[in-house]
Amino acid sequence: MSSHFYFTFFPPHMALLCSVAADIISTVEFNSTGELLATGDKGGRVVVFQREQESKNQPHRRGEYNVYSTFQSHEPEFDYLKSLEIEEKINKIRWLPQQNAAYFLLSTNDKTVKLWKISERDKRPEGYNLKDEDGRIRDPATITTLRVPVVRPMDLMVEATPRRVFSNAHTYHINSISVNSDYETFMSTDDLRINLWNLEITNRSFNIVDIKPANMEELTEVITAAEFHPHQCNTFVYSSSKGSIRLCDMRASALCDNHSKFFEEPEDPSNRSFFSEIISSISDVKFSHSGRYLMTRDYLTVKVWDLNMESQPLETYQVHDYLRSKLCSLYENDCIFDKFECVWNGSDSVIMTGSYNNFFRMFDRNTKRDVTLEASRENSKPRAILKPRKVCVGGKRRKDEISVDSLDFSKKILHTAWHPYENIIAVAATNNLYIFQDKVN
Amino acid sequence: MDVEAKRIMALSISKLYSLRTQRGGLCLHRSLLLSMTMRAARDIYHTAQLLRDAEEEQVVPCAPDAAIEEPMEISKDSPQTLTPKEVAMKHQEPKETVEDDKENQCASERHSRKRRSKTAIEPDFLPLKKAKMDTDEEKQHLQGEVLRTNNGNSCRQAETLTAFPTNRAVVAC
Repeated sequence: MSSHFYFTFFPPHMALLCSVAADIISTVEFNSTGELLATGDKGGRVVVFQREQESKNQPHRRGEYNVYSTFQSHEPEFDYLKSLEIEEKINKIRWLPQQNAAYFLLSTNDKTVKLWKISERDKRPEGYNLKDEDGRIRDPATITTLRVPVVRPMDLMVEATPRRVFSNAHTYHINSISVNSDYETFMSTDDLRINLWNLEITNRSFNIVDIKPANMEELTEVITAAEFHPHQCNTFVYSSSKGSIRLCDMRASALCDNHSKFFEEPEDPSNRSFFSEIISSISDVKFSHSGRYLMTRDYLTVKVWDLNMESQPLETYQVHDYLRSKLCSLYENDCIFDKFECVWNGSDSVIMTGSYNNFFRMFDRNTKRDVTLEASRENSKPRAILKPRKVCVGGKRRKDEISVDSLDFSKKILHTAWHPYENIIAVAATNNLYIFQDKVN
Repeated sequence: MDVEAKRIMALSISKLYSLRTQRGGLCLHRSLLLSMTMRAARDIYHTAQLLRDAEEEQVVPCAPDAAIEEPMEISKDSPQTLTPKEVAMKHQEPKETVEDDKENQCASERHSRKRRSKTAIEPDFLPLKKAKMDTDEEKQHLQGEVLRTNNGNSCRQAETLTAFPTNRAVVAC
């Protein structure tokens, strides 16, 4: 990853590459090469996009993403014992590293994790002796000669097959999955527990964190997200609804109830309100690609932590501080419970997260500059560079600014993804997926 | 401040009720956050009400601001400032409202040591619909239904799980 990107990237010149209408998107994830982009939606479907190969004939179509495969990952289920419906909504998708011609990903709903294999078929055998080309069994009396079937090319078909189903391990709702850097294990996390699985074994998992109190009435916090360290296979972190992050080392003990490190920022007493608890709840936690830093998202801020400093974050970025005075209304319309995700760019120099009104924000960690961009059909013409947006907080509103009261809180960007190497981002705006690319001059 | 607290309390309770009917089952995280907010609002409201009542009784005005700020600490333990005697004097709710507050009255019976006096007076904004409440019998029945996680394959041998009682979150307020 060349370092010149961060010198020239900010301010970014993002232009729309393509956009797709879909069901309400619930997760977005690039694979490790950036060739594929997977989205999961509320209806349990997974749509995988593939980047078009660059061709000399059509250079203007460089790097567009087209639909590669669509499949139904999860169906609605019913838990008869508890009389509860289990939603089919895909909460998270995580790609496995590519080891052969096929692609593998993990997708999860509230209760069940599935391993999907996505493979291409562009050849098929023809010339069977015992059946016709369309599969019907031939009358044995008509078979007079013997022939050897040959493999002939066919139209490309992409098929997705479920290879493993990891179920019956979670009482509460799964909020995260994370693949270990050993590529053999992964963990699934619900509100109170984290389980460790082997990718090959579906009938057994190991519980590595359990914060369920003996008496549920004494419950004070839940686990909100968890992730493995990108390089150290023994290390993982999990965040809580109280705004703290715990780093655990699986070598220390089989059951990681005791953390190795505890990251928490002391609360600012001047900001105390009825809703302090809610807005301090961490909605997403992500390791940097380097593994040196941690990023957390709570309702109003994004914080970058140094793994070697537990007492306070290294950097704090205000995403939409103008909402601090509106918390009561946001509590009324439930927006205060929205769970925003955050992402790093490939070089860990820029971080990105979503906001309301289809706005998303980028922060350059080196220059401390930030920008607000909008993902919407009206404002996005293909190859037109996105204009930075600004929210007006004071009295006087400039011409192209938008006032806080005009923000559309039903248009929220919760899920975004950044290509692992390039400045290509995927932004999910409710039921539209936008892919933007930095225009290289 | 207490008007705001009362509004937030009412809002929280109605949101907790609607959580029960949501598709996909009870969201533990959200019900926890709602409970905490409701408790914080309730503490403020009761303290403010108490101070107001104390003001009415005494000629010398006290300083409400300092006292209200303190209970903003969200804690499970209710402030020890309320005595049963004071509460009994202020119990002015009409009979209809008391019956509608079955939910909270039952809650107060369960946490009889600390909370009875506080929750016995409930404001008039609680929903009219009477929710079914866990009695002690039901609680024991629920605890009897044990579930093993991981089909018994977890490395935690003694792992058992009670069926999660979905209305516990409300009771815990």
